Amino acid sequence: MKLDFMNTWLPFIYLYVGGGIFFLMGLIIIRKSKALDMRQKRHRFWWKALIFGYFYFMALHAFLIIAALYL
Amino acid sequence: MNNITNIGTQTDWIVLVVYMITMLLFGSYFAKYNKDTNDFFFGGRRFSWWLIAMSIVATGISSHSFVKYSAMGFKYGFSSSMSYINDWFFVPLFMFGWLPIIIYSKIRSIPEYFERRFSPAARFLVTILQLLYLIGYVGIGFLTMGKAILPLMPESMSIFGINFHVTLMGLIWVTAIITGAYITFGGQTAVIFTDLVQGTMLIFAGLLVFFLGISYVGGWNSLWNLLPTSWKLPFAGYNSPAEFNSVGTFWEDAIAGSVGFLFMNMGLIMRFMATKNVHEGRKAAAANILFMLPISAVVVGGGGWVAKAISEMNPNILPPNTNPDTIFVVVANILTGPGVFGFVVAAIAAALMSTVSTLLNAASAIYVNDVDEPLRIWLKKLDRGQRLEEKKAMFVARLSTVAFTFLGVLAVYAFVSYPTIYQAHAFFHATLTPPLMIAIFLGAFWKKYTPAGLVTTVIGGISLMLLGNRFPYELIRPIAHGTPFDPVHPYTYISALYNLIVCGALAVLVTLFQHQLKKLSARIYKNKRHNLIIYGMIAFSTIVVITDILVTLLRLDVASVEVLFSLSIIMSFFVALITTHYVKYDPEAQTTGLTIWSIHKAKEYFKGRKLNEREGEKVFVHWKLITDDNEDIISFSQRDMHKMEAHPGDLVYLCDARKYLGGLKSVHTVYGEPHTEDGIVYIRKRHLESGLFVEGKILYGEKEM
Repeated sequence: MKLDFMNTWLPFIYLYVGGGIFFLMGLIIIRKSKALDMRQKRHRFWWKALIFGYFYFMALHAFLIIAALYL
Repeated sequence: MNNITNIGTQTDWIVLVVYMITMLLFGSYFAKYNKDTNDFFFGGRRFSWWLIAMSIVATGISSHSFVKYSAMGFKYGFSSSMSYINDWFFVPLFMFGWLPIIIYSKIRSIPEYFERRFSPAARFLVTILQLLYLIGYVGIGFLTMGKAILPLMPESMSIFGINFHVTLMGLIWVTAIITGAYITFGGQTAVIFTDLVQGTMLIFAGLLVFFLGISYVGGWNSLWNLLPTSWKLPFAGYNSPAEFNSVGTFWEDAIAGSVGFLFMNMGLIMRFMATKNVHEGRKAAAANILFMLPISAVVVGGGGWVAKAISEMNPNILPPNTNPDTIFVVVANILTGPGVFGFVVAAIAAALMSTVSTLLNAASAIYVNDVDEPLRIWLKKLDRGQRLEEKKAMFVARLSTVAFTFLGVLAVYAFVSYPTIYQAHAFFHATLTPPLMIAIFLGAFWKKYTPAGLVTTVIGGISLMLLGNRFPYELIRPIAHGTPFDPVHPYTYISALYNLIVCGALAVLVTLFQHQLKKLSARIYKNKRHNLIIYGMIAFSTIVVITDILVTLLRLDVASVEVLFSLSIIMSFFVALITTHYVKYDPEAQTTGLTIWSIHKAKEYFKGRKLNEREGEKVFVHWKLITDDNEDIISFSQRDMHKMEAHPGDLVYLCDARKYLGGLKSVHTVYGEPHTEDGIVYIRKRHLESGLFVEGKILYGEKEM
């Protein structure tokens, strides 16, 4: 496999942009429907946890690509 | 390809057999917690998040098994972990949409949800899809197990003087009998508790092989330097090779697979339904996806990564052309000694038993709720709204578990032709998930989605999917993102995108044009020959569906792809019209409490009265038994009620305070009128029988809502 942009960073971008669209839609739906009620302490925790999860996996993947290419 | 047989020693076999028997006995012990089908299927809705999270690990690891991920780890490196760290995108909708809907609507199966949300016809279609999905999954599980154990076996063996030639299918039949027996008698509680042991064991076994491998090649630095750079990347190539690429895996796994696993897998859903409340279910899901899945990626793929390093270091010990599906067992044999190797193989067996038992339990739940019960109502052996006698229901549950075990083995024959289990599983996900995924998603999150939309999604969608399978070059290639065309197994992964598009497009179009369909249906009804018109459309639709099935299965060339595709679109339009014509649908009544837009109503429905959402404290109490009556209420003191912010009629969870039991000894019930003895809860015989509380042990009470 050639180690060019297409096989290193493009899958990463595709995953987090494509998946990010579904993720964002999910966040909007749960807020607009009031299924996630920000007046409740537990729900405020979950809101932060959900956003943290997205960036946690993104950081993990980015780290692994950088490690593979440069370490 | 190099197929290895007869590895391992007699000690390994003893360890393996002892392990299997121990698990059988352990699972059977929990049969005493199965008072009724609610306990058998849902474990009485009582467990803590950590127990369920561990149980999900055992299920998840096996379904994305040691065998297939080690195989991909060996062939492609760290990218074997892709499927384990791409599941977060749908978590918001799961945690705050699907999970509360299924728990608060008190459904016992996904098809039941579809009857309440749409119509009995929708339930019927979804039941068929769900059972196919579960049976297919069981088949994949058995195939995995067979391929894992096969390298251990000699080419032939003699039992009581009779000589047997050891075959993959023979092994699968034996495994199926053992697994079927264990789940048939144990039920969901057995599954959850044996999973706790099995989950721990298989994480330990997977990490053991990985770390022994690192040590074998000379440490982490040596492993890192031995692996080629492309093996160290966390993603496969963007669109090649055909058998493993990122873009295909995104649609097949991150989208269809994640939704399939979280939203559609009745086995997993039943685990979440076994948690004591929605909040615990959310914790279980988050812990599983954020922490356990990344660890699991190492546990299941690590064997393949170290195998690659060993084969780079010394190809004589591990030839590079070793069959990838046997690589985990082969490398474990190299790295471990007698007995330990048996333990590692037992861990794989544990993983399989765990997944398969969950799926069999789920298939049985669907059979009891969605086939047996409606059938009895139809045959007038049961009144509508009446439930089957518990003893009979348990018998049907057990019998159906045996039947699904058998069907699961038959399903193996559909997947056995694929070169790797990974590809067989991908084909399975890409094919069976999209119609149900669209149905669940639009059903739960789009109020406007109608029965006509759903029925067309399933019937029209499947027809177009079949054509995609028959004419992949013409229909899938334009959206294949440049993925190479493999004529034997074309577009195994990216076909998921095509399937999602056709099912989604039909669903959205039919729903958006519902008003026009209703008008047209009314016009047809006014026509003197309306019966003839409707029957004509039914006949046409049936012929087109059968043609699509035959064209795909028998690879017939009866007409061009353009003609068949156009006929299928016309047929989808007729299906939408026929459904609009026949199905009575009340959008207000059939969406209230059943979509994310009315989740508050769902909670009220669950409680049966107005909600009390003030947050209270837990209280610790001793219990005393009331023998005068057996009402489903318990009584705390006025002060304890105040601490819990509870009122009579609110829902309460009463549980043994020993945390390590994970909620095993607990009940859900209702607050009665308070008394004056602080620190005491009065319970009835029914609570004692269900919670199995121990005299003298402290309990805690917690207001639910």
